[in-house]
Amino acid sequence: MTPAWQRYAPALIFLLPALVGLAVFRLVPILWSFVLSFYDWQIFDQPSFTGLDNYIHILTSPVSGQVLLNTAVFGLIYVPGSIILSLILASVLNNALRSSAFFRSALFVPYITSTVAVTLAWKWIFSTRFGLLNNALAWIGIDAAPAWLADPTYALPAVAIVSIWKDVGFYMILLLAGLQTIDPTYYEAARIDGARVLRRFFRITVPLLSRSLFFVLIIAIVRSTQTFEITYALTEGGPNRSSTTLAYFVYENAFIHFQMGYAAALAYILCFVLGLLTLVNFYFRRRWVHE
Amino acid sequence: MNRRVSAPGALAVLYGFLIAYAALSLMPFAWMLITSFKEQSALFQLPPSFRPSLLFSDTPFENYSVIWNERNFVTFFRNSAFVSFMAAIGQVFTCALAGYAFARLPLPGKNIIFAIILATAFVPTEVTIIPEFLLMRGFGWLDTFLPLIVPSFLVGAFGTFMLREYFASLPNDYAEAARMDGAREFRIFWRIYLPLAQPALISVFVIAFINNWDELLRPLLYLTSPELYTVPLGLLSFVSQYEAAWGQLMAGSVISTLPLIIIYVLTQRYVLAGFSGGGVKG
Repeated sequence: MTPAWQRYAPALIFLLPALVGLAVFRLVPILWSFVLSFYDWQIFDQPSFTGLDNYIHILTSPVSGQVLLNTAVFGLIYVPGSIILSLILASVLNNALRSSAFFRSALFVPYITSTVAVTLAWKWIFSTRFGLLNNALAWIGIDAAPAWLADPTYALPAVAIVSIWKDVGFYMILLLAGLQTIDPTYYEAARIDGARVLRRFFRITVPLLSRSLFFVLIIAIVRSTQTFEITYALTEGGPNRSSTTLAYFVYENAFIHFQMGYAAALAYILCFVLGLLTLVNFYFRRRWVHE
Repeated sequence: MNRRVSAPGALAVLYGFLIAYAALSLMPFAWMLITSFKEQSALFQLPPSFRPSLLFSDTPFENYSVIWNERNFVTFFRNSAFVSFMAAIGQVFTCALAGYAFARLPLPGKNIIFAIILATAFVPTEVTIIPEFLLMRGFGWLDTFLPLIVPSFLVGAFGTFMLREYFASLPNDYAEAARMDGAREFRIFWRIYLPLAQPALISVFVIAFINNWDELLRPLLYLTSPELYTVPLGLLSFVSQYEAAWGQLMAGSVISTLPLIIIYVLTQRYVLAGFSGGGVKG
């Protein structure tokens, strides 16, 4: 029998870079952030311990209240919007006769291209007077089109639209992989029984796809709380903070106002909400996900 | 195939929807491309014209040459390419070693370590970015490429997961035969298993390259000298300086988008396998 160190040495050496990365860029920052969240610390001053003050301030101040509300509204547009759209597209693509490779790429390309670049193209499209969108709306007779990015009511939905546009292809790929595992004999049997398209969709496709749908739901919720690049390039959280969501607010507090402790507390609230939503999802999982 | 829809009416509806959405999906790229070939005066025509007017002039690539040379996108492009390449190659290196160890080497508690790596990947960036910034400041790495490369080099839960699966799916016989011949573990890994894992390695590399090319937050926090800017940062600093120069800006956006589209087209099979196989099993 070789001594333990000799048997385990290769694994440890192989794991060394990953373990260093895990410790330095994951575990230490996770704990450090947690500690920071109980301090009042402007980066150039001495930190002072303030207990739960940051958390209390976040939960009671109207500004962070608006940001939390914006985050919820964004999620309520983004999560159902991107899941329903990607589910429809995946099922259509799965049934398409020809050129599905072309369509798959056409839908997937927004997901893998440079976020800032495509967001700037959208910014140009959303432009109030000269933008493609409002001119297209005028062309079909809608003259009272909003000023989109300059309008507090429409800035957040605009960020959500671009986010959905960008991510739909990704969810579609995930669902398509799930659809392709469904045994075609189910459909054959249903067709012999005379089940219509929609009935087949809800009675066969959705239940048999439920594991992929659950996975997509979890990812979509996580992504909905982390929108940063699109917000930054499209609206910078404005006008009047109307499109500032939690992730952007963390950035603003940490790296524009340098309120490190406050920003860390915000980040932990985001983490807590995300954890809670994931738990709720896993709790309801057995109600609708078929193993 | 049996699951196809057969009624011609339903088929037309399905195709109609698919074509309409595909057009919507590609529309911003088309508009970006058309705008990049317009002179300044053509930008503010009403109604907007779909004619890439510069293409019919003596200087069809004017916007591109201004943004590439005068606005220094040649430097931003080089920076982005360098950073993304180093970060991606590092991620492949670290993830391949770790994935191999998790899949094929003995170590008590390795599944717990693997679970921790996966679990911490779900902690939002917002939580880790503040201490990461403080660390980088402490290391004296601000305004260098190191903060953009080193974390991606050493941390890759997705790549580790994917390569672990891949190495676990390969047969054990090769390793046993090599061990009989007295080969060292690293040699077995390097000469036998790594070449076999090539498709998965390509997936991890390409996805890491795309993610790093796309990264905005880290360059925004860590880079202050314009000569170190990456393309996304260059685009945003251009917007803040030349707000209405949409023609040049869209030329810059095309420059930023095109490499990723080319890489995607060339490695489509690996990218799709990576994105769909990495997460869902069945």
